[in-house]
Amino acid sequence: MNGSIVQVVLFYLLAALALTGACLVAFSRSIVHSAFALLGTFVGVAGLYALLAADLVAIVQVMVYVGGVLILILFAVMLTARVDEGKESNPTVGKIPGLLAMLAMAGLLVVTAVKAFGPRTVISEANPPSTVSPIGNLLLSKYVLPFEAISVLLLAVLLGAVTIASGRMRKGAGGKQEGEAPR
Amino acid sequence: MTNMGASLFAILPELVLTGAILVVILADLLLKARPGRPTAVAVLSCLGLVGSVAAIAAVPGPGAGTSAFGVMIATDGFALFFKGLVYFAAFFGVILGLMSSEIRREQYGEYAILLLCLAMGMGLLAAARNLLMLYLGLEMVSLPSYILTGFRRGDRRSSEAAVKYVIIGAASSGLMLYGFSLLYGLFGTLDLTRIGMGITRLLAGPPTGEHLALAVATLLSLAGFAYKIAAVPFHMWCPDVYEGAPTPFTAFLSVGPKAAGMAALLRFFLTAFGAPVAGAVGGFPWQVLLGILAMVTMTVGNFAALNQENVKRMLAYSSIAHAGYMMMAVAVGSGDAVRSVMLYLPIYLLMNTGAFLAVMAVRERTGSELLTAYRGLGSRSPYLAITLTVFLFSLTGIPPFAGFIGKFYLFAAVLKAGSPFFNVVAVVGVLNSVIALYYYARLVRTAFFEKAGEGEGAVALTEPSRVMLTVLAVPTLILGIYWGPLASLIERSAGMMR
Repeated sequence: MNGSIVQVVLFYLLAALALTGACLVAFSRSIVHSAFALLGTFVGVAGLYALLAADLVAIVQVMVYVGGVLILILFAVMLTARVDEGKESNPTVGKIPGLLAMLAMAGLLVVTAVKAFGPRTVISEANPPSTVSPIGNLLLSKYVLPFEAISVLLLAVLLGAVTIASGRMRKGAGGKQEGEAPR
Repeated sequence: MTNMGASLFAILPELVLTGAILVVILADLLLKARPGRPTAVAVLSCLGLVGSVAAIAAVPGPGAGTSAFGVMIATDGFALFFKGLVYFAAFFGVILGLMSSEIRREQYGEYAILLLCLAMGMGLLAAARNLLMLYLGLEMVSLPSYILTGFRRGDRRSSEAAVKYVIIGAASSGLMLYGFSLLYGLFGTLDLTRIGMGITRLLAGPPTGEHLALAVATLLSLAGFAYKIAAVPFHMWCPDVYEGAPTPFTAFLSVGPKAAGMAALLRFFLTAFGAPVAGAVGGFPWQVLLGILAMVTMTVGNFAALNQENVKRMLAYSSIAHAGYMMMAVAVGSGDAVRSVMLYLPIYLLMNTGAFLAVMAVRERTGSELLTAYRGLGSRSPYLAITLTVFLFSLTGIPPFAGFIGKFYLFAAVLKAGSPFFNVVAVVGVLNSVIALYYYARLVRTAFFEKAGEGEGAVALTEPSRVMLTVLAVPTLILGIYWGPLASLIERSAGMMR
């Protein structure tokens, strides 16, 4: 019983963290603040995964999103010019229609979730079994085709990133590339 | 592991394509700055694609024992037909890229490799029978598309188009994933067939909150498909991307991903919802929803195309309209309708690629995509003007051309549905075809009846352009008169659905 109360409290804390982070990302005037607020969302979501006994997904969430994606976003934001001018970097446009669309969408999704999946409390067992090895087995059996296809996708994306970035870098290094159209 | 070999045969086209990708990467690296590098890369890529098309013949049918990959991708005739089709689209993309000066020579290798990856993604998307595979296929089509759209570095329009494409793509992917997650929550499976069984069970019972969740899930999933085939309201990226992307890639983009998206949409709705369920009054009015989307899509596309001065942009809107025509038949969902979409897409591949090729040829010579650059094209370059006319009239759907046959079958399938609603859809479709005639004919009139301006000399066609125009125009003419073999191939392929 005590364990379940702790879990419920944790759930609300983590959900609040994720939601506050998301709101800050959307409403913050400065894109730097938005980028940092994303940390709250990612960590909160990772915590929710952990509460649901999805240990691998939680770890991946922290390692990939917090450790990789977020850092990358921060680098990109910090390297962007004119980042300090709040209005310049993160302006809000179309407040009223945006708010209406958001409310409609949120209402629809909340009603759907409540009606279809009901208010049920999911309390995980005290010591849930690890999901790492079942996921590993599935990846190399049932899901082997998507798993392999992703490698081709990553190859393409890697190549594409180099293609798009290399020209800029070379130009930045002194514009040795001839025939480059001026911006 | 006795069926290991058979399992590998099920993904033979993908294996060949992966091999081709690796060979092309190596060749591109080894040849460095040799003058023949782009040609060599193009030849290898084309060989890879042709090999993949040939490998399709070796794929065992769904009846030939279970395959380890069968739970992820279908090996039925429907999937194989679309795989072949999208590989052909990539084939034309590779060749057009070689001919265009918009793709810089030293970047051509990357262009070809990305197109090959895209081809693989399209094939997987068209064959996916599992939500995970479907989503992966969609991303495998989208991500290289973003890169290729922004391929002209330093070109503002190209970069802007790529950014718009990424944002709208990411948003619709998010919506689609949310829909998928609801479907998984409802049925506890990602397998389309089993989701279909779950939906049948759910709809047979009394209405509950789960019905609402199913409706929302399908609506959200539809967003992803609508984005891929550029249907309203997810079409906003289309004109900007088509205009900003390098023309050879635009030609490909208007055909290949659209065909793959159409195939995935058909499979999703036919496997998960099944035509009879979709028609049931107690169920969801998906047919009506798709029908309305089809009508809105073609109307928006055609009206927006009316006063475009940029021909590439006009063709972008026209391709939105064509997605609308095909969606009419998707909404009907009958066997006839599936076959009519399958007939329409290869024809659309020929005529739309051809039209973009003509745009590319004019751009190569005049540096312009505007309507004014086409003035007097009839005398400046008769062959180009005549083939362009063939493609445009075929796109309109005027009799002796293939486009007419495609549209005829589409409308026949819609009218055969018999319900008053689909009669209205068909009437809207016909009215739209009349509207489309206006802007296609306007381009033809500009080419033949307007005098060329000062200093607008002859548009000399290069030999490859002439050959490719012929390669695309001749089947457009022949299929308009003699489409029997294609129709019977489709008959055989569609019969094997599932």
